[in-house]
Amino acid sequence: MHKKTLAAAALLAVAAFTLSACGSGDNGDKPVAVVSAEPGSDKAATVLDQPFEKPDLVLTDTHGKKYDLRAQTKGKPTLVYFGYTHCPDVCPLTMNNLAVAKKEVEKDKQLTQAQKDSLRIVFVTTDPERDTPSALGAWLKGIDPDVIGLTGDFATVQAGARTLGISIEPPKKEKDGKIVSYHGTQVIAFSPKSDAGYLVYGEDATVDDYTKDFPKIIKGENP
Amino acid sequence: MNRRLGCPALVIAAGLVLAGCGGASSSSSAKPELKVTGAYMPAPPTSDLAAGFFTVSNSGGADTLTSVTSGLAGDVTLHSTKDGAMEEEKSFAVPVDGRLDFASGGNHLMFEKLTHKPKQGEKVSVQLHFAKSGTVTVEMPVESPTYNPKTGH
Repeated sequence: MHKKTLAAAALLAVAAFTLSACGSGDNGDKPVAVVSAEPGSDKAATVLDQPFEKPDLVLTDTHGKKYDLRAQTKGKPTLVYFGYTHCPDVCPLTMNNLAVAKKEVEKDKQLTQAQKDSLRIVFVTTDPERDTPSALGAWLKGIDPDVIGLTGDFATVQAGARTLGISIEPPKKEKDGKIVSYHGTQVIAFSPKSDAGYLVYGEDATVDDYTKDFPKIIKGENP
Repeated sequence: MNRRLGCPALVIAAGLVLAGCGGASSSSSAKPELKVTGAYMPAPPTSDLAAGFFTVSNSGGADTLTSVTSGLAGDVTLHSTKDGAMEEEKSFAVPVDGRLDFASGGNHLMFEKLTHKPKQGEKVSVQLHFAKSGTVTVEMPVESPTYNPKTGH
């Protein structure tokens, strides 16, 4: 099978492409969801030649407890996504895709229960002002209560996202009262073997894509 | 007879042809001939917020989607996604002989102050208000949270 691998520089280009391709603007007849698909690849994941180091994020979980991402997901297959609960479209869709795929993988007879239980899905808010631990908890309860929801200082979250090539901005209110939000929509998968972020998914990755890839990610293999 | 509206106060289900009365003409002064298809709402995680998607196809003159209302929500706003930034818009143009797409990752409706948390299988009555064509009511089905219109599940 053809494996698509990219250097970090190329990855940034892909990320930029994905972002700029999100908006169909006035050209409403462009199928928006298709544009971030990688041409010539039937795989949702981009395998990184130079994996990302796991960001050193120490934040607060939905129970109000300190959560050290590196320490607490060490040696565990981990998927990290940055978003916010006041986002009606891509954030709940992406989190639900991950959550449903995780449930599908529960049925996989090739994996041990310990392997299935090792999978961590982490949602880091880009809107900590509104996404308190309890607000995050209520939102994730509607998706999958096992998802780890993290909130904390915005600058810390932003710096962590940046090390993964993900740009985020706090939702800001413009003069006319409109709220503008900006966040990269990539999901990064971290290997249980190296703890490095070795796969990147765009917002067009589906439940089926994740369901197919999770058993590989659980073993730290390339999909 | 009301020439501007063609079919006043149409109540249609998603997928049915709208404004099917009168011949289509595609000059800019012509009457818009709108058809709303593919409407859906992904079941939201909470009763705080929900999104809605649909396509307006136009085989006539230009129109403008000026606002959206629904009994489900105290507030419905229209948003675009441009260069990764989600932004509220006052209105959306429906081009001559063209389409206006509200699709995941791009334009979306945002429903706030919900009366309840919509569940999969429910239908939400949504009124699309157009400058020329008037109000079009769409029965928007609530789909699974991971619904993908390309695969239909």
